[in-house]
Amino acid sequence: MKSIKSRLTLVSMVVLVIFMVLTAVALERAVVERALQAEEDGLQLLIYSLLAAVNRDADGLEITVSADRLFEPDLITRNSGLYALLYDRDNREIWRSRSITIGFPAIAPGELGEWQFETTQHLATPYFRLGFALQWPDSNNKLRRYDVVVWRNAVDYFEQLNRFRQTLWAWLIVTTLLLLVVMYLVTRWSLRPLQKIGLEVKAIEDQRQTGFEQQYPSEIAPLTENLNILLKREQYQRQRYRNAMDDLAHSLKTPLAVLTGLGDQLQLEQSQIETLREQTDRMNQIVSYQLQKASSVAEMSISKPVDLIAIIEKLLSALEKVYREKQVRVERSLPATMALRMDEGDCLEIVGNLLDNAFKYGNSRISVLVEMDEMSRSINMVVEDDGEGLEDKEIEQILNRGTRLDEATEGQGIGLAVVADIVDSYSIELGFGRGKLGGLQVSLKFQKS
Amino acid sequence: MRAIVIEDDIDIQQQIVTRLKSEGFAVDSADNGDEGLYLMQEFPADVAIVDLGLPRMSGLEVIKRIRERGNKVPILILTARGRWQDKVEGLDAGADDYLVKPFHHEEMMARIRVLIRRASGWSDSRILCAPVTLDTATQRTYVDEREVDLTAFEYKVLEYLMLHAGEVISKSVLTEHLYDDESDNDSNVIEVFIRRLRQKLDPAEDLKPIETLRGRGYRFTLKRVEQH
Repeated sequence: MKSIKSRLTLVSMVVLVIFMVLTAVALERAVVERALQAEEDGLQLLIYSLLAAVNRDADGLEITVSADRLFEPDLITRNSGLYALLYDRDNREIWRSRSITIGFPAIAPGELGEWQFETTQHLATPYFRLGFALQWPDSNNKLRRYDVVVWRNAVDYFEQLNRFRQTLWAWLIVTTLLLLVVMYLVTRWSLRPLQKIGLEVKAIEDQRQTGFEQQYPSEIAPLTENLNILLKREQYQRQRYRNAMDDLAHSLKTPLAVLTGLGDQLQLEQSQIETLREQTDRMNQIVSYQLQKASSVAEMSISKPVDLIAIIEKLLSALEKVYREKQVRVERSLPATMALRMDEGDCLEIVGNLLDNAFKYGNSRISVLVEMDEMSRSINMVVEDDGEGLEDKEIEQILNRGTRLDEATEGQGIGLAVVADIVDSYSIELGFGRGKLGGLQVSLKFQKS
Repeated sequence: MRAIVIEDDIDIQQQIVTRLKSEGFAVDSADNGDEGLYLMQEFPADVAIVDLGLPRMSGLEVIKRIRERGNKVPILILTARGRWQDKVEGLDAGADDYLVKPFHHEEMMARIRVLIRRASGWSDSRILCAPVTLDTATQRTYVDEREVDLTAFEYKVLEYLMLHAGEVISKSVLTEHLYDDESDNDSNVIEVFIRRLRQKLDPAEDLKPIETLRGRGYRFTLKRVEQH
């Protein structure tokens, strides 16, 4: 039994069904008992009224029942289903009601003053039978024993009872089903926060959010709050690590700058200057690469989407300023906005490096295209320039992390390597080719979140 | 040319200052944002080199404040981190170009020259007011095809006048932008250099490239020729 929901549903189902069956049985028994009691009471009443209608002759030996004093018409109507018989002490029938058309067996006489009530079968028909033994004094004041027996046809009674049973069970089943549905819904509703937690955990895993953001019931809130604290602490640790890396690389940059400056100043032999430059450049390259890598926050959770177009425009206006002399014409094919779930710094880094390269290596034209691919739910970005372009081998070299493509141009290799690195950690597809403008074409495919 | 260098690392600052001076710049320097802002407000410069990570006031803040006051001095920012976020922020705040540390001094000088030229509306490294050509990259001067031999200081004066060709440049502005110290700031010396320039550029006295406006200063009269 894997899910809490199925456990709860199963247990509540079993308990509910048992409860309902027991209720039904108890209810039915109570009703049957009550009905039998009512029948018995009714027959008792009949016997009393019968006795009240009894006439005796002077010596008390002849007993008759005057029909006009019988207020139970069923005793007079033939075959009414209600029959009365009177027996003397020898168990001889001395009177029978007019309703009787068949014979009834005499019963074993009971104790004086005792009521004998039974449900019995006679001629394949169910009957209630009530017997009562009493004594009357004759003319000699001698007490004589008599037995009164009343039979009532019970077919109707059993039919009614069956109808009652059917109705009872039908309603109980309907109620049970209804309750089961309600309980299932209640269980689902109560367990929904757990489902929500599951979804949020998935979102945290997918870096779509940094922690639990939803409101939870008081039983679960402590859990999510503590998890949030844990997540924050973990992020803080990572941030600290990144800051340490960043500070380390940054603090190395200043002495490197001094060394580089020194190399520019010293009156050294050309070869020595070259060695000095080569080494400082290499150090710079390593530090730069590590610095960029440390700064990349791809693995961090991201909550706010950035607008790719705003970032492109921001960079274009900055680059148009820097490369004003080149009078580069930028052809834009951009939608108004394009939301992207990504760290803004990383996005700036990728797009900045690509656009910077286009400005640097293009002659006079570059083109930037962003479009939504509805089919694959991805965002495509293509940057092209009209420069020399790159050979496959050169592209391979660039992607080979930090390899410098062109010594004369600052940061080129690192730039593209950094792009490749960030792109990797976001699982963005990066492609190179030759574009319509004749130069390098770089395409990015972002998965839409 | 006058440059202001705001850089908190004294070694780097001194290297930049030394290099600029060797290129004929008059240089003021500061090692924190506060002082840098003060320098930029008080002394008109042709270019400012501002490090982004400064104590007391960040380089970004210095740039924002100076731009708020309408000061259009070209600004080159130095950044150690080299993230695009920093570069874009700096350029957005009003800087004109950036350099990522560590950098080579040739690169820095090239950028500075571009910024200065650009600020006076020149887009090419060759400044041409026909028939006088100034090659700012090689610091050579030509009249038609003939190279004119100028001393370093003569070149500085001519460069400043030609960059601002058509504008009236007062003697005090000229001294401010050409002299490092105020001590040897003697306006008579300027007159001497102007006279020598006239002789060298225009021995036949038919071009009359530099005009003297009495009580106001000098003006380079030859028309700018854009090479695009």
